[in-house]
Amino acid sequence: MLEYSFSKPNSSRSPSLVTEDLRSFISKIYTVYSTNSASFMGLSSIGTASDGMQLCIFDLRRGQHEGQELDKILYFFPADLPFSTQLSVIGLSEGLITFTRIFSPEAACEVIEAERHSHVFYEAEPDIWMVMIVEKSKDSEAIWRIDALREVLKEIHSLFVMFHGSIRALLEREPGGGLTRAHLYPFIMDYLRDFLVGKKLQLPSFRDCLMERRSVQMLTVGREAAIEVQTLVRILESSAGNLPCFSLILFQDLLVSTTLSPEDTINLYKYAVLRLTPLALSSGAKSWSYLRKGNSSSHVSIGSTLLSTGSVSEQFYGSHDASPAGDNRYHVTRPLQHDKWFKGKDGFLITDIWGGDIGSLNVTTPTVWLHQTEERMYLCAYQYKSLTIILLIPLSSILNGDQGVSILKQQLLENASLKILKVEEKLSKGWGGENAYHVSGYRYLLVDGNRDISRASPPTKVTTLSKESLLALNRLREEVDAEKSRAKWDNPGREKDLEVCIRAKNNAWAVARITGGKELYMVLEKANETLLYASDAVEKFSNRYCSGTFSLD
Amino acid sequence: MIRNLSFEVKIQHNLKKCFYYDDGNKLLLSPTSNQVFSWKTAPFSPNAAPNIDSITEGPICSIRFSLDEKLIAVQRSNTSIIFFHRETGETFTHRCKSESESILGFFWTDCPSCDIVVVKTSGLDLYAYDHASKSLALVETKKMTVSWYVYTHESRLVLLASGMQCKTFHGFQLSSVGIIRLPKFEMVMAKPEANSKPVLASEDVYIVTVYGRIYCLQVDRVAMVLHSYRFYRDAIIQQGSLPIYSHKVAVSVVDNVLLVHQVDAKVIILYDIFSDSRAPISAPLPVLFRGFPRSDSFTSRPGTKESESLEASDSNDNEAIIYGEGWTFLVPDLICDVANMRLWKIHLDLEAISASSSEVPSVLEFLQRRKLEANKAKQLCLAITRTMILERRPINMVAKSMDVLVTSYALSLKAGSYFKGIKTERTSSSVPNVSGPGQGVDVNTGRTDGLGKSVQHESASRVNSVSVSRPSNYLSSETEDSSSFEPLKISSNDAQFDSGKVDTGAESSATGNPLNASVSEQQESQLTSPAISPDEMYRFVFAPAEEEMIGEPSYLVSIILEFFRSANLEKVKVHPNLYVLTVQLLARSEQYAELGLCVINKIIEPSKEVALQLLESGRQNFQIRKLGSDMLRQVSLHQDYVLLLVQDGYYLEALRYARKHKVTTIRPSLFLEAAMTSNDSQHLAAVLRFFSDFIPGFHSTSDFSTYYHILNEMNSSSVVA
Repeated sequence: MLEYSFSKPNSSRSPSLVTEDLRSFISKIYTVYSTNSASFMGLSSIGTASDGMQLCIFDLRRGQHEGQELDKILYFFPADLPFSTQLSVIGLSEGLITFTRIFSPEAACEVIEAERHSHVFYEAEPDIWMVMIVEKSKDSEAIWRIDALREVLKEIHSLFVMFHGSIRALLEREPGGGLTRAHLYPFIMDYLRDFLVGKKLQLPSFRDCLMERRSVQMLTVGREAAIEVQTLVRILESSAGNLPCFSLILFQDLLVSTTLSPEDTINLYKYAVLRLTPLALSSGAKSWSYLRKGNSSSHVSIGSTLLSTGSVSEQFYGSHDASPAGDNRYHVTRPLQHDKWFKGKDGFLITDIWGGDIGSLNVTTPTVWLHQTEERMYLCAYQYKSLTIILLIPLSSILNGDQGVSILKQQLLENASLKILKVEEKLSKGWGGENAYHVSGYRYLLVDGNRDISRASPPTKVTTLSKESLLALNRLREEVDAEKSRAKWDNPGREKDLEVCIRAKNNAWAVARITGGKELYMVLEKANETLLYASDAVEKFSNRYCSGTFSLD
Repeated sequence: MIRNLSFEVKIQHNLKKCFYYDDGNKLLLSPTSNQVFSWKTAPFSPNAAPNIDSITEGPICSIRFSLDEKLIAVQRSNTSIIFFHRETGETFTHRCKSESESILGFFWTDCPSCDIVVVKTSGLDLYAYDHASKSLALVETKKMTVSWYVYTHESRLVLLASGMQCKTFHGFQLSSVGIIRLPKFEMVMAKPEANSKPVLASEDVYIVTVYGRIYCLQVDRVAMVLHSYRFYRDAIIQQGSLPIYSHKVAVSVVDNVLLVHQVDAKVIILYDIFSDSRAPISAPLPVLFRGFPRSDSFTSRPGTKESESLEASDSNDNEAIIYGEGWTFLVPDLICDVANMRLWKIHLDLEAISASSSEVPSVLEFLQRRKLEANKAKQLCLAITRTMILERRPINMVAKSMDVLVTSYALSLKAGSYFKGIKTERTSSSVPNVSGPGQGVDVNTGRTDGLGKSVQHESASRVNSVSVSRPSNYLSSETEDSSSFEPLKISSNDAQFDSGKVDTGAESSATGNPLNASVSEQQESQLTSPAISPDEMYRFVFAPAEEEMIGEPSYLVSIILEFFRSANLEKVKVHPNLYVLTVQLLARSEQYAELGLCVINKIIEPSKEVALQLLESGRQNFQIRKLGSDMLRQVSLHQDYVLLLVQDGYYLEALRYARKHKVTTIRPSLFLEAAMTSNDSQHLAAVLRFFSDFIPGFHSTSDFSTYYHILNEMNSSSVVA
């Protein structure tokens, strides 16, 4: 990992190892900025204008000739910034990437900490970069953990790929880039809307340090229920015939079972929690009547003024085209669109996002792209009380499209509905409620990196922590992130054991223990006697809830 | 549906056509003018030689041995019964006191208060036999009008018919625990026309014992149904009716299966009335002879089970006609062919029965309840289950089948029969006879009922219930469960039928060859229960299925999961090998996510075998390997865990772990070598230091000197570099 701190844009301080060639290269970078008539000072002003956050996606393989610079921009938020500003932001990022690749060809720049901004880099696909720029405002809430922000970028990208395939593939399909932009723009806008609090985007901050974005929260089930679940899974998957299909079962917002690869599980789980689970559906229900009024609402631009697009670049990003009023150059589905899923009478969840008319129930079945099999799958979601079942069937296994899917749904109901009833009942009985995984006295986050699973104290309990404690843990996690990524480069494939305890200003203990790929983060506010006491508390927790994984030897 | 029942034969040639069946002792009796031939039918063997006892000459209405087989009671007329003591030859006679009543019959009982019950038109007389005075002492009298009666020793139940239509019944159960008086009840009879009132005959009523419960079956020839009634201690409850397709029917019970012989149609319909279902087990099946003996030499009969069913025609004796005129159906499962002097025992051809139904779960259920040929039933179950899996039948069906098998196993565990192994059939213990001179008492008889009297002291719990040759454990447990119910008993007791014969052939002397009553039935079934343990499920079902089902193993995994579900419900432990197999199958089909869930949720229970398999399967998948190593730690296989850590290069962690869990059996050189290969002198030094500190005398070992030397070299070379 390389980390660069730029205190001033024009600082002539250069790494001691820089050779003559490099020096000339760097000067070239700066030339790029000047041609785009942007400066670092300029960047900051843009930041304020867009409420502290910018997000862009660009392709290093495009727009390499003078006059074609706009080509490389695939997405920019906020979209109403003048192109020159957009280009200057992207130019800087591009320059830094090119520059740092010289030292580290495999992994270029990850983050730039400037005086007033943090630039978070993520290479989503080869040469396709996502950069998020957040402002370090005086607002004391604006304290980020860089890795958490990068997780947002990763999430955007992997969800996007799940629905639309890779960006590179889109670019290859239509080299002009219009298709790609037309997909990216509404997708990310829909995604960001989930971060909207009032009229402000609220990105993951230190307050969220006890959660892990790219992981799955699981329901703990007893053996008996687990067997019931697995037999249900078998029945579900056997209803689709002999072709390999996959399933995902959630109870409330917790995962119960998956047969997908970890990567696909994370993505679909996330999508389910965002849009499909009973909770997600009910939050949408509020605006249901509004949605019923206009069928055309599927392409209505998002109501928030913040996320609405400026007229300048609408054309460019294709959002205009995506709206029904436009000339429909591209047919763009918006899977993350809000309030578009409903529970049908038969228990299956339906949406008209993929086309069709929800009123007549004649809708196109959603499809997703699986990372594991590199195959497009139909997505069937069924809901019974708190249980949400997602079944993925390969497009290739169903010959007559939506008709075949509805036959399959019927089969599914015939074969499995009794079992579903039984499983729901079993799980409900064993369900400890929202605070089931609260451990009194502890505020914790448990991450199993091997299996991309996490569990944490319930959010309502985390909010009882004081700001100091959270800041301390946030800081601690940053350290651990750094340590982990260093270890990853130093010693690939080896897991590093690690233990850190720090004492916060308010005498709380923030503890991190990493062992065998599993991570435990903890805040102990009431254990303020000694380090021994804190360590003892961790030990107890480990023995009780983690089968001794984190117990020290 | 070609073959169904096989009959065993025992026959006798010159015997006159006069047979009585003593169901109390399971003896086939054939009296001549001055002798009684008796063949044991209890262990059924074609070659048994008869016992011969002498009696005085006289008419015989019925004849029964006492339950201890010391006395022979012969009803001479409707007023007298004569008793012979078998050893001493003493006799005495019991007579009706009053002229107005006549004796309908009698039977011996193991009721504590009395030994013999005489059924008269005026009621029951219960007598105790007094050894000393060689006479009967009246214990109790139950007054009521009796037209006719039905009794089976198996059920210890006597039903007394009365009323104009003979459809009002009083019942008593006289068992070893005492006498129970059943409430009076009426049987149902359809009227052929408005004014006619059919009279129920005794041959239309059967007492039947199935699964330790007692039922009464009543033929209603007008409605063409067989009504069934179940007896409880305090109630008689009608249970619905079975259709009949023949004017002449008979009822047998074999291994708790109810057989309704549709005599005219020459088929049998089988019912397993364990549950409430009144549906036949299979389509009607014909009867086949099996192991029919050569007419000349009688001896060669290969084991009943093995002998292929001979077509009926194969027998040289063409006299053997299925459902011939002379067939008499004896208590539970015997048929006496009077015309041909043969005694047949009914066997169920389980294979044919199971082949005639496609409802696998119910077939398995049926087979799991069979006790007589437990081993065969078990083999059949295994084969059926295996086939079902290989044929990839729907999961729901297989799941139901698993439930059946596991439930049955759990039941047999509870009852203890699974481990009992062989339970030898109880042979009616012939107690050495103490000679009591039998007082001959002249009893003149009227009509007879060929009812046997029972001798056998069976360990029927509470109510009598044990039927022959069945291990008592299953039934008795069953009996205890069925609170307040009497175990039912089914016996096809053609009392009247017998008596008819008696009339004709009375009195002929059997000088000739006695029937070959044989004593030892093959003990082919060493098992008392066809229950299948999880271990056997693994060895005979899943492992072979896995070998045969090449390709995508997902179906088999589904089945195994269903098995786990059943086993978990019944709290039956699953064999670790099956878990190992599951891991292999899931890993082979690369269903790692599911495998992970199965391990984490302990669907696959942790064990050393599973952990090692996870490590093995984890070569392709890091997460799975991780689960394996976690499991090693979880099941406290400290040494294996430490070794694994060292192998993976985590030697420092391994040392720490070894120290904590006191693993001392691993050679220090393993750690040292691992540290050396990591080329980190600090680590090597640390490891050396560790052993120097914790192993006394480590300094003087060759390991120490070797690695100390290596460490010095490393250090010096690094300095040079």
